[in-house]
Amino acid sequence: MINAVLVFNNSGQPRLTKFYTQLDTSVQQRLISEIFTLVSNRPASACNFLPLPPLLAPPSTSTTTTDPGHYSDNPTNITYRHYATLYFILISTSTESPLALLDLIQVFVESLDSLFNNVCELDLIFNFEAMHACLAEMVVGGVVVETRVKEIVKGVRDSDKGSVRGKEPKMGPVGAVGRGMWAGR
Amino acid sequence: MFEKSLYDLIRGLRNHKGNEREYIQNSLRECRAEIRGSDMDLKATALLKLIYLEMFGHDMSWASFHVLEVMSSAKYLQKRVGYLGAVQSFRPDTEVLMLATNLLKKDISSPSVPTITLPLVTLPHVITSSLAMSLLSDLLPRLSHSNPNVRKKTVVALYRLALAYPETLRPAWPKIKDLLTSEDEDSSVTAAVINVVCELGWRRPRDFLPLAPRLFELLVDGGNNWMAIKIIKLFATLTPLEPRLVKKLLPPLATLIRTTPAMSLLYECINGIIQGGILESVDGIREGEEIAALCVSKLRGMIVVEGDPNLKYVALLAFKKIVLSHPDLVSNHRDVIMDCIEDLDVSIRLQALELSAGMVNKANLIDLVDRLLRQLRQMPSTSGMANRGCNSGLRIEPAADSDGEDPELVLRLTKDSNEDGSVLPPRYRIAIIEQILDICATNTYANISDFEWYISVLVQLVGLVPAESSTGSESGGTSDAQTSVTHTTGEEISAHIGRELRNVAVRVISVRSEAVRAAASLVLAVVNQISNVVVGSTPSGALRFAAWIVGEYAEQLDDLDGMLSALTHSKVVTLPSATLSAYLQAIPKVLVIIISRASGKWDRASQSVMSLLMARILYFLEPLTAKPSLEVQERAVELAELIRVASQAVADHSNYSDHWPLLLTKAIPQLFGGMDINPVAPSAQGRIPLPTDIDLDIPFSSTLASVLQGATAGISPDSEAEDFARFYTQRPAGSESEDQTTASRLIVPGPEASSYQTSEEANTDTSLLTRKRFERRLKNKDDPFYIAGEDVSSGASTPFHDIIKNTNGDGVDVDSIPIMNLDLGDRVISHGSAEVSNAPSKTRLAKKYQIAMDENIDVDNVSDFPLEVGSSGQARMGKASKKSLLQVDSSGLGGLALEGTSSGVGAGTEGHSLEDAEMIKAVQEVERLRLEMQRASERVPLSQGISPEGTLVKKKQKRVKKAPRTDAEITRREEALPGGRKHDGHVVASNVEGDAPVIKRKKKRKADLRRALDNVQIRKEILVRQRAIDHLEARAIALPNELKLDGKARHLGEWRD
Repeated sequence: MINAVLVFNNSGQPRLTKFYTQLDTSVQQRLISEIFTLVSNRPASACNFLPLPPLLAPPSTSTTTTDPGHYSDNPTNITYRHYATLYFILISTSTESPLALLDLIQVFVESLDSLFNNVCELDLIFNFEAMHACLAEMVVGGVVVETRVKEIVKGVRDSDKGSVRGKEPKMGPVGAVGRGMWAGR
Repeated sequence: MFEKSLYDLIRGLRNHKGNEREYIQNSLRECRAEIRGSDMDLKATALLKLIYLEMFGHDMSWASFHVLEVMSSAKYLQKRVGYLGAVQSFRPDTEVLMLATNLLKKDISSPSVPTITLPLVTLPHVITSSLAMSLLSDLLPRLSHSNPNVRKKTVVALYRLALAYPETLRPAWPKIKDLLTSEDEDSSVTAAVINVVCELGWRRPRDFLPLAPRLFELLVDGGNNWMAIKIIKLFATLTPLEPRLVKKLLPPLATLIRTTPAMSLLYECINGIIQGGILESVDGIREGEEIAALCVSKLRGMIVVEGDPNLKYVALLAFKKIVLSHPDLVSNHRDVIMDCIEDLDVSIRLQALELSAGMVNKANLIDLVDRLLRQLRQMPSTSGMANRGCNSGLRIEPAADSDGEDPELVLRLTKDSNEDGSVLPPRYRIAIIEQILDICATNTYANISDFEWYISVLVQLVGLVPAESSTGSESGGTSDAQTSVTHTTGEEISAHIGRELRNVAVRVISVRSEAVRAAASLVLAVVNQISNVVVGSTPSGALRFAAWIVGEYAEQLDDLDGMLSALTHSKVVTLPSATLSAYLQAIPKVLVIIISRASGKWDRASQSVMSLLMARILYFLEPLTAKPSLEVQERAVELAELIRVASQAVADHSNYSDHWPLLLTKAIPQLFGGMDINPVAPSAQGRIPLPTDIDLDIPFSSTLASVLQGATAGISPDSEAEDFARFYTQRPAGSESEDQTTASRLIVPGPEASSYQTSEEANTDTSLLTRKRFERRLKNKDDPFYIAGEDVSSGASTPFHDIIKNTNGDGVDVDSIPIMNLDLGDRVISHGSAEVSNAPSKTRLAKKYQIAMDENIDVDNVSDFPLEVGSSGQARMGKASKKSLLQVDSSGLGGLALEGTSSGVGAGTEGHSLEDAEMIKAVQEVERLRLEMQRASERVPLSQGISPEGTLVKKKQKRVKKAPRTDAEITRREEALPGGRKHDGHVVASNVEGDAPVIKRKKKRKADLRRALDNVQIRKEILVRQRAIDHLEARAIALPNELKLDGKARHLGEWRD
């Protein structure tokens, strides 16, 4: 299963944090900065799999040579992708396929892209609720429920449509926000 | 009143460059006020802002009640913010969740699809077993909701429910299975079910075997790669249980491997074949060979393909798994793997390195090591790489100016590979060196055919160890799962190299002189280097071993004088103390050889040479006698004394005698010469049987504290021995009164305690003083920590001897302890190099190197001691695991009869350590208490409605309070309740004594429940107890790995379909 989804930018500023287990805020922040340290040190030509940061490293007492045929609950894979100014990180157990996770990040970004039309970091900063909604359409409780971009986008849009709209425009439907929102910056 | 929206907040943040912290604090204050107000819009906006700030580490746990308020809003968009707040901020210790049960129930049953999905998405984050229990009945109908989106999310939510509350699966599994087997189910729902089944599957694969036909069908014509990957992953856990599956799976897998364009699917097919043990099970059959060859060639293709490091990486991972079972297959592709060692990507290199270590043999070892060495030499280690990301300790603040280069840049995959990979991080350099050493040392140098080459490699490696400073900064932030968790520093790896060199010198006699030369060159090089390089910049761990070799095998040295001056060089003093003490030990050994080599008669010339030599050594030693490091100090003092005596002897020796002073030619060599040192197996010490009449737990002296105090008391410095003792035991003058108090705190006040007070006056009376001294000596005779005076004639072992004598009577003789008999030959000592005939593997054929094996003791009667330990340990383990099995059977599912007895052999409980078992036990205990409490709380309403039950509730509550109970009790009690639990997941109130189960109608119970929850008093009580239990649980589940689900997941071991 997927243990956490993280998005942060090139200087380590978190843009989305989603942990599928309950963690203390301070632990979350430590984990983010550890992963950022790892990921920011990698050249672009490197592969997209990270070694485990110290916080996630298995305790040295346990057997390090795990039986290849057996899965476990421990997070073992960290997969990331770097898009322009943002890093997308997935922390998962060995039941997930590393290459498929790379595709999943791509699906996530594509979905955001079609929600925001040429998505960029600023879109995600100002519409982080929409990003959460989009992720919720893809991954629930650490389990992938949807991998088709069209369905994900539809799910996000439906969830906006199928409700009584709030009075305040700033909390309005995410589908409508798009670019104009921060244009006056 | 001015109100900020989230948009305003973010914009404000971006406009307050430099003083974000202050701005955030202000905003938090505003949010605090806004969220307390009654305006729901304001509340929701404030919550949204808090959630945003939480992302940057600003705690919002204080707002949990307000989160609930917003969750209960009638407006969907506000509700959504509330649910998001719950997901992001609720922690295991958030108490208010208990109050949300009704709200969640309502939202789950809402007619609006978006509203339904909110709790479905949120529940996995916040679920607890009691919450799961009360929501289960509401979630189950959602499995047949008309909207596939709801169905698939419900499936996943139920999975997470099951982790917290395994009982969930009993009613839920049949329905989930229906979803899976239904042909016309929405494909995304099927995929979600497969994902869940895959998660469940590895824990209890046996329960999913019946699904195999359907899974197979989905695999063959599912058409969804994501799903196919998961199915293959699931099959990998099923095939070991059902060998017949292999035959059926092979053709479609082979087809997929041949035809699929999706690399991820291709890889997972291969991975599944490896993981499922399919390669092993079809070994020998023609198809088996075919599929193995196909897999390996596809993997090769993945490595060879240009420009995709990810494929390379995963292919190497797969190779690493194959190499365990089919090393021959992998070694066919050595060429491409070796190329990966020189890949630009460090992660790939490390993988390739590990893989190549698995393929090493005599023929390719030298080639591989040379390749690695070349790499180390060619690529300079720059510390810039390590320093780049050193902000790991910094807290991330939502800074305005940290968007990166251009936040408006459209998110496109970055693919610029102009970065040069020529900088090797120190971590990687150390990993390479470690790997080289490991590769070479495997099986006691079984693969090394040329030891001269190996020694030269070692010497080169010493020079290639990365400098300390850069590794220090590196070790802060990064770690590699593959190499090691704890970081090896440059110093450690250098010591490792030194150890190897020593190993070779000791074990391989034929190249010993070579090794000694190498060690000497290291020692000499350092002196030369030190004179112009800052000391401490290069790791010197290897020097310690080099110095040992130089001393131990000094007779092999050519330039003894040069070596001695290198050892006593003034710059050596700055070396680390561990190295320094090795130097100190080497000096006299070299000196002994110098003396023995000095031929000819004793004359004036040799006398002056000798006294010069002594003077030089003394000059070197003198500053060291004041070194803070005890080891160095002690050795230096000892040696200096010896040299002083020797130089005295040299000076006094008659100029007319032809013979050298006996002290130099006989006495000193005897101190440092002796038998050759052979390698001893690490386990040898443990195999020496412990004499039964020695109790290691008996303290050496029961009067230690008083002895210490006696030593602290004033001693007049009239003899050297006392001077010495005073030096070690007494603090400098002035602090004596403090010493008195600290020492007296340690001891039980006895007659000696007054010695300090009396000693001052006693100083005036010499006869009294002498008497006191005598008494003290008598008292301290048995104290190992007391250094006896000169008049005590016995040797060093006297204190021990006396203690044993005193405690065990005169019958025991310490000298008969077999430790002393080790080399007397009455036990068989296996000496590798001596037994050539029956140990052919120990002799190297190529250049007939003889490698000394570890010495060990084959004691016949030894078995009763170590084996006893082993068996008792095993027994203990077995008991523990058995206990945990029992625990699994009875807890949680106690009331339900599980079919079969194999239920305990769940994957989750197998092979776990004692601690794990205890942890499980603790968690289960907590879980049970919680469930019981839940039941108790549900019984409360009945107490209001029906009077006879009132007393009963009281009883029940009482029992909850006295927490620790044995499982057997619980099981018995639950078994005694025939109507106690219904299979549909509802808990029915029942008489605790079990004589008359009172079963209420569901409807009525619901009404009662609601009434009860309205009762604030009860709610409060529940909260308080919930808090206590949560607290308990938090302590029990202090698992090392924060993200681990283990504690919950292990419950699945209890469940059987």
